[in-house]
Amino acid sequence: MAMASRRALKAVLIDLSGTLHIEDAAVPGAQEALARLRRAPVALKFVTNTTKECKRTLHERLRRLKFDIEEQEIFTSLTAARNLLEQKVVRPLLLVEDSALEDFAGIETSDPNAVVIGLAPDHFNYQMLNKAFRLILDGAPLIAIHKARYYKKKDGLALGPGPFVTGLEYATDTQATVVGKPVKTFFLEALRDLNCSPEEAVMIGDDARDDVGGAQNAGMLGILVKTGKYRAGDEGKINPPPHLTCESFPEAVDHILTHLLDTK
Amino acid sequence: MAEDGWTECVRSLKGVILDMCGVLYDSGAGGGAPIEGSVEAVKRLKASDLQLRFCTNETQATREKFVAKLRRMGFEIDVSEVFSPAPAVVSILKQRGLRPHLLVHDDVLPEFDGVEKSDPSCVVIGDAADNFSYQNMNSAFHVLIGQEKPTLFSMGRGRYYKETDGLKLDVGAYMKALEYACDIEAEVVGKPAPMFFQSVLNDMGVQPQEVLMIGDDLVNDVGGAQQCGMKGLQVRTGKYRPSDERHPTVTADGYVDNLAAAVETILKHRG
Repeated sequence: MAMASRRALKAVLIDLSGTLHIEDAAVPGAQEALARLRRAPVALKFVTNTTKECKRTLHERLRRLKFDIEEQEIFTSLTAARNLLEQKVVRPLLLVEDSALEDFAGIETSDPNAVVIGLAPDHFNYQMLNKAFRLILDGAPLIAIHKARYYKKKDGLALGPGPFVTGLEYATDTQATVVGKPVKTFFLEALRDLNCSPEEAVMIGDDARDDVGGAQNAGMLGILVKTGKYRAGDEGKINPPPHLTCESFPEAVDHILTHLLDTK
Repeated sequence: MAEDGWTECVRSLKGVILDMCGVLYDSGAGGGAPIEGSVEAVKRLKASDLQLRFCTNETQATREKFVAKLRRMGFEIDVSEVFSPAPAVVSILKQRGLRPHLLVHDDVLPEFDGVEKSDPSCVVIGDAADNFSYQNMNSAFHVLIGQEKPTLFSMGRGRYYKETDGLKLDVGAYMKALEYACDIEAEVVGKPAPMFFQSVLNDMGVQPQEVLMIGDDLVNDVGGAQQCGMKGLQVRTGKYRPSDERHPTVTADGYVDNLAAAVETILKHRG
């Protein structure tokens, strides 16, 4: 059967938490599905919004779960922030947790003229926010890893970086540059070294808005998996709807192998 | 000095409302210092037939402590003439039967002494300064997100203010943070909220068009007063910036160099 418009698929972007694994357990069949995808002629990248885990930590977890993944195939919101800092040639005040600092190794941070905000409860205090505020008022760009309102901890909800970013935006009458999903540039940056356009790529994730909506807004196809944070009806929350909604990562891989690749 | 349209209203004036910080005094080390001529200007207004009230968004001290500080600077001010957000919030809480979780400065806590605070049903934030820690913001957030209809009172909505050691974030930034986190809108108590100005007018027993507000904050003092039907005068002291005179949305009825100059003009035109 001829499909309406088959694209030449060149790359697959894959979300990590909620898609390949849930905390310390792999999604059933995900390792084997990834191995099958590896045998197909597509480039892979693993993309995630993280504000506190550096790439090395993420990679170690994936290796423990027996996923065949290289560290340099991982692209995170921290990497995106680092790339932006390098592009702008600025010295950041880094309001991120110590565990994330590794991803900024080598970046000059003395005499800061930019502000980067991740999730950093230890840094979100009056003194530090005043310091960030004065820098921004003096013209330093405000870069937000993402703007999540809150997140779930074992002992309940906790404020994310979004509220603090919003407060600084209000006080300084500026807009932060957000670098994480669902921002379009995040997906374009992730694809940059893969030599393909967004129309030649597909994104698989469990977050309808941040993964699928964001990717489709950037010109890619989006596949929503019903694992992780997925809740019934999520696929109806974005417009246009996901290219495909399926049970889990292995099913998404099957779809790609049978419908999106030119297997002549 | 250019005397623009505002002097025409002087004859029909019955009352004057003064902002405090930036009009009477500049804050800073040791509590700050009076602005030149302001002590005498307050004295002259009090000796006139005009009613006088003071209106501040100060929430880092109780009214009693705050007024005592100003009296030490030489100002003849009585606590009953001063309107600040904390007592206004307390009366709203009592009216609506709400129990607050407080995220405020330690020194303003006594204003809330008679208020039931167990099992909180709303959050009140003020300029809490060092109390704006992540833990305290999180506690306020938990109270709000646990309510079916979260209620947040913010004592003022200022963006920032100046102290001797530099600019400081004001309560507005933290109000916005909680608004964003819970997807709600705070109820602002204090300038520029119309209810706050109205309570001062009620106390004076006069109509808004009979009152002149004098402040250094174009948006919150002048703009807020104008929204209520009062005239608004901006002084070129305190947080005043020359760009205020070209503000896109708020134009004061007049601009004067300082409070002393304003009072001089007012008294001259009343003859």
